[in-house]
Amino acid sequence: MNGAQHILEAFHHHNVQTVFGYPGGCIMPLYDALVDDVLVEHVLCRHEQGCALAADGYARASARLGVCIATSGPGATNLITGVANAHRDSVPMLVITGQVPSSLIGTDAFQETDVLGMTLGIVKHSYLVERAEELPGILEEAMELAQTGRPGPVWIDIPKDVLLADIAAVPSQPVTRSQTAAPDLGSAIALLRAAQKPLLYSGGGISLAHAEDSFREFAECSALPAVVTLKGIGNPGKHSAHNLGMLGMHGSRAANRAVDECDLLLVIGARLDDRATGKLNGFAPNARTIHIDTDAAEFNKLRTAELAIRGDLNAIFGVLTQAFRETPLAISDWRKECQTWRTTGGFQAADNEEPLAPITGPAFIRRLSHIAPDNTIIACDVGQHQMWVAQYYQFDHPRHHLTSGGLGTMGFGLPAAIGAQFANRATTVINVAGDGSFMMNAQELATIRRYNLPLKLIIMDNQCLGMVRQQQELFYNNRESQINLDDNPDFVAMARAFDIPALKIERTDQVRRGIETILAYNGPMLLHVAIAREENVWPIVKPGGSNREMIDEARRASADTKEIVA
Amino acid sequence: MSTERHPQTTPTYKITCRMIHEAAALERLCQVVRIRGFRIAKMAVETSVQNAEESLYIALTVQGVRPVAMLQSQLEKLHTVAEVILNTTALAPAVGRTA
Ligand SMILES: Cc1ncc(C[n+]2csc(CCOP(=O)(O)OP(=O)(O)O)c2C)c(N)n1
Repeated sequence: MNGAQHILEAFHHHNVQTVFGYPGGCIMPLYDALVDDVLVEHVLCRHEQGCALAADGYARASARLGVCIATSGPGATNLITGVANAHRDSVPMLVITGQVPSSLIGTDAFQETDVLGMTLGIVKHSYLVERAEELPGILEEAMELAQTGRPGPVWIDIPKDVLLADIAAVPSQPVTRSQTAAPDLGSAIALLRAAQKPLLYSGGGISLAHAEDSFREFAECSALPAVVTLKGIGNPGKHSAHNLGMLGMHGSRAANRAVDECDLLLVIGARLDDRATGKLNGFAPNARTIHIDTDAAEFNKLRTAELAIRGDLNAIFGVLTQAFRETPLAISDWRKECQTWRTTGGFQAADNEEPLAPITGPAFIRRLSHIAPDNTIIACDVGQHQMWVAQYYQFDHPRHHLTSGGLGTMGFGLPAAIGAQFANRATTVINVAGDGSFMMNAQELATIRRYNLPLKLIIMDNQCLGMVRQQQELFYNNRESQINLDDNPDFVAMARAFDIPALKIERTDQVRRGIETILAYNGPMLLHVAIAREENVWPIVKPGGSNREMIDEARRASADTKEIVA
Repeated sequence: MSTERHPQTTPTYKITCRMIHEAAALERLCQVVRIRGFRIAKMAVETSVQNAEESLYIALTVQGVRPVAMLQSQLEKLHTVAEVILNTTALAPAVGRTA
């Protein structure tokens, strides 16, 4: 068996059924081996960035390993944004690239790049396979590493001669993952019982730890008022009575207020990102912190925790649920206070029911949320539309909301939706894009067509880079700079050129029909939604400002909104 | 984060680190030191083979104003790092530029 065949063997052994890739010179032995393989479906994207982001979307939607493959040189460099995206959001991913033959490494050979050196900062780990016989062991280790602890991308760079070398078959060891017991939670329970205003703060770590169900049980049983980060959206479920919504720069007033007032912050599976916390020294000023995570390096990184607990989240939630089921928390006044904020301080953009009125972002997303079936997966791009989805779409599970949180990668949504659709063939998958973001990976329309994926594409077209325009308006004296996209292509014609039907809507009375039409269509379809150029996402905290100082529409023109910290 | 501007007053720490000797091992280590806000002032590396595995022993003197425990936990997170020992708390400030 040669090295390339060993890779496919490892895929079989680990039940990897779908991989996203693009061929080229140094990876050709693997593509040759794929010809004879019937178990692995190789999805040919149209750009390596599309491969990496599709693998990322596949992994996010399915809780399985995402795999992407590319050739050396430009193939590898094109992967980088997608791999960095997975790294920042701790997505389990295996990246395989061909490299020039071992004897040519370091000679500036054709399509040679120092992949290992170039990617050190964006991987959980990486390997250059220097001896052919090491390949099987490296494959096993890499796949395990990508998916355990805090997950992340692991990159294996394989010289062409290694792919071609005969390597003895190695009996594969069954992977046994031991269940870890919960750490001692006595002090955490005592702190929670002593607190008068405890607040549950959860992030993307809940689903990364496969702890969605046990989290929800704990959240319901403890009835703690709760806030979520962008990546924690969906953790509490859409019927939770205690969820105050997303906190942070575009968070709800209710969530930011609760953080401001709480006396104990129970942070679970979150890394206290600056978009969530705002200015750190104004963040949760009255609160002690319990920080629970899988990654010890997150403790005390940005905020000192009174108690830092590392461990398996499922085991931890089991113990906490038991404790609060036996003796519930006595925090009814605090719960009532939070309920009041929840009623008055949620996301509140008004719907304009006037039939001929232009479509607004929040109203459109709210309507989409009502109409789309349960379990719909929404893959967002980056910008204002991403924030409207976060604010107004009611998610019932964190894996239904695919969003580029850490890196904020425009162009994420379309390939991520492709990956999600491969992971869930029967589920409705919708990409909500801005007109700017859509153009970043529009070549993947060809992938949708080729595999006849029934994806729904929504472009919220404000003819500009809306999020940048908004910040220029609010924090740079309305000095617009390089945000104009009024020469966008005709998106309907563009979709049709890829043999994807499309329609355009621009008035409120067309919204329902537009959404219903694309959802009912048996195949891929694009909805081009024209929205006003000047619309902003409210509320907003100025970058570097404190979450206490949220700006809403009424204050948009006031002088003190000028940006102080970039 | 600039450690460059006030080298005289920047806290200095000694760290020893044992890691598997594989491709880009040292670059990986140095990258983490840099991105987490520290500057390498001194570095000594030795290799040793035990049970057919080659290890690197690295003695580092680093300067930086961020809490060094943060650097330690980030280094410990590296897959090929077996051990990180923080030898002392802050040493006397470095004199002049040594890196
Ligand atoms: C690859 C990339 N380049 C630049 C940015 C900076 N950026 C953040 S939001 C944004 C505008 C996005 O415009 P669009 O996709 O049209 O969405 P809108 O904000 O208008 O909803 C830009 C340029 C980014 N996040 N990613």
